[in-house]
Amino acid sequence: MEMSIWLFFGLLVACSVGVRLQPLGSVVQRAIAAAVLAVGFLVCLVLGVGFVTELFGVLLAAVVANLLTADYVPQRYRIALAVAVAVVFFLAAPWLLENFRLFQFSRVAVWVIVAVGLNILTGYNGQISLGHGAFVLIGAYTSAILMDDQSQLGFVDGAAWPFWTTIIAAAVVSGVAGFALGFPALRLSGPYLAIATLALAISMPAILRKYDGLTGGAQGLFVKRPPPPPGLGDVLERDEWLYLLCVGVAIVMMLIAWGILRGPLGRAFVAVRDSEVAAAAMGINVARVKIAAFTISALYAGVAGALLTQLLGVMTPESVDIVTSINFLTAIVIGGLASLLGAVIGAFALVLLPSDGPDILGEIPLFPDNFVQKAPGAIQGALVILVVLLMPFGVAGSYHRLIATPAGRIIDGVKGIPAGLRSRLGQVREDVLWAWEDSPFNRRSSESDSGEEADP
Amino acid sequence: MIEVFLAPAPWNDPELFGEQVISGLATGSIYALLALGIVLIYRSTDVVNFAQGEMAMFVTFPMWSLTLAGFPPWTVIFIGIALGFALGGFIERTIIRPVEDKPPLSVVVVTLGLFVFLNSIATWIWAQGELPKVFSTPFEFNSVDVGVARVTTHSIGILVAALAIMGVLYLLFNYTKLGLGMRATAHNPGASRLMGINVGRMLMLGWALAGAVGGLVGMLVAPITFLFPSFMLAVLLYAFAAAVFGGLDSPPGAIVGGFFVGVAENLFGTYTPSDILGPEMKLPLTLLLLVIVLLFRPAGLFGHVRTRRV
Repeated sequence: MEMSIWLFFGLLVACSVGVRLQPLGSVVQRAIAAAVLAVGFLVCLVLGVGFVTELFGVLLAAVVANLLTADYVPQRYRIALAVAVAVVFFLAAPWLLENFRLFQFSRVAVWVIVAVGLNILTGYNGQISLGHGAFVLIGAYTSAILMDDQSQLGFVDGAAWPFWTTIIAAAVVSGVAGFALGFPALRLSGPYLAIATLALAISMPAILRKYDGLTGGAQGLFVKRPPPPPGLGDVLERDEWLYLLCVGVAIVMMLIAWGILRGPLGRAFVAVRDSEVAAAAMGINVARVKIAAFTISALYAGVAGALLTQLLGVMTPESVDIVTSINFLTAIVIGGLASLLGAVIGAFALVLLPSDGPDILGEIPLFPDNFVQKAPGAIQGALVILVVLLMPFGVAGSYHRLIATPAGRIIDGVKGIPAGLRSRLGQVREDVLWAWEDSPFNRRSSESDSGEEADP
Repeated sequence: MIEVFLAPAPWNDPELFGEQVISGLATGSIYALLALGIVLIYRSTDVVNFAQGEMAMFVTFPMWSLTLAGFPPWTVIFIGIALGFALGGFIERTIIRPVEDKPPLSVVVVTLGLFVFLNSIATWIWAQGELPKVFSTPFEFNSVDVGVARVTTHSIGILVAALAIMGVLYLLFNYTKLGLGMRATAHNPGASRLMGINVGRMLMLGWALAGAVGGLVGMLVAPITFLFPSFMLAVLLYAFAAAVFGGLDSPPGAIVGGFFVGVAENLFGTYTPSDILGPEMKLPLTLLLLVIVLLFRPAGLFGHVRTRRV
């Protein structure tokens, strides 16, 4: 069975948010809302407007989740539930998704690793890098060169290394490169650092093309994509195995990042970002912390690069171009700086926005069809600008606010609504709440569940 | 063994050297102009504008249409400058103003979004037919002898245009009340507002001037590289290098940086051994030089290091 990934995202959001949407009122009202949405869902299903159907599906799932759980499931299980859904989905994905989606998701897992690394450097430590594509390339080529059995590297005995050792080697080589670059980066900040790192990303493909004895020049290097380990060969295709490998490594890297960030080093990162002078006064060695951030960040990019080599089976200087390199930064800013969830959302945006964004908008009635097909980048660019305008802390920031806010106050939190419209919306909401509170169905609302009153 | 091609030393072949320097100055003047646009915007609004090159492209394409419609080259150039002026002001007003108080990274990302947006729209409108398109120059492509080297009239035209623009901007900033207002705004927006300067208008004007200069650059580059939606990308990268080299907040620095980058690029391409470095490596070498300069002057040659208060 093939499943729409949008339905999956809906379920995920529903599980984590749905529990919290209390102003939907009593059980009866929630049931009515669910019924209305279900009718809408079915109507759209019959009419066959794909995207709108899924939108209804998502809302339906949220309301049903709310209906089933709000009264019985304590708030603290909300995230756990969402994580459980995500884990089950990701493990089951090889059997749920079409092949190209599976490949996309493998790429997402790789970009998640880059984004987590970049977020450690930029989000938590405040050093801008537009050059992470270069570190990804360094890792990718390290892996490709070591896996090559044409003995391009005489001094490492010429035999092809097993793929997992090359991932570790890529991490080490990239980490060393990051360490080396951390020193000049100490002198630079803001736009100067951004452009110096951009220079690195621009130079890397030219360097790789020039020294073709080692790197294969413009044709690049081919590697044998690793087959599933013995014993799993019957159950898994090669693509499915690679998918699970990428997701597994991504999860491990995220757990490591989580551990680092909540420990002393992570707090030092944030302290240095917020004020170098204050951090130094507290006894933090600012230079060492900044170099550590660069090293860890480059190491993450190197691991991602090695995985990318396994995934693609070929590595050329253009595999990670300058636009991708810049897009890593875009991804973490729209996903949410200084947030691991933001890195994940950013990685999804990096892959899905170009491939699905235009399609989704194209399903909106009256939207010029021609425009969607001929100018996909326009929609992508406009979405990026809109996200920054409307969600100053990225999607993850808005999400955190969403699940921490009673639904009734969400409208207040949305930026960019003109004051007139805002007060009008508030008026409407109060009318609705008033109507609900007075309705005969709503007996329980006065001694309502968890003590969140409707807005005064 | 690969045969090493090494150009004769400059003192043995002064003509080659002169040619490289002069053509370096010609391309350098393009970088200098685009870098000037970047600096104008950075000074006034603290934004590194990644969409600078695409703004220029977005002016050049409609001007190409006008050329096809039979407008004379000089008219097209001036209409293009006016259009760039309007485009720059419009973008500041609609897209940049709302993110003015957001963290600098958000603003950078907005300009990156704008980059993708403009590029895609231009592809949609103009790039359906045959590419790249030929863009005519009012300066013609005749060769002339300048001292030891031969250059085209177009290159000389670019150089003259660059110097003229710099002169105009110098007069504007130093001898007009408007320029004084813009400088004051760049220096301290809060105090300027209290002194009765319309800060919003000054910021918009900064973007508009950058857009006008950018539009001119686009129309000067297009005859050389031909016209396609990403034709400004390579120029933009060099222009960034130039702007950073001279210091992001210094207009004279942008000019010096542009010429320097143009000449350095040519000399690296000519006078390094071609088996290990050579022409393919001129961009990495130029950028390496830039980074080395930044290590000694973290805010560029003429830029000001910002003092931070704790």
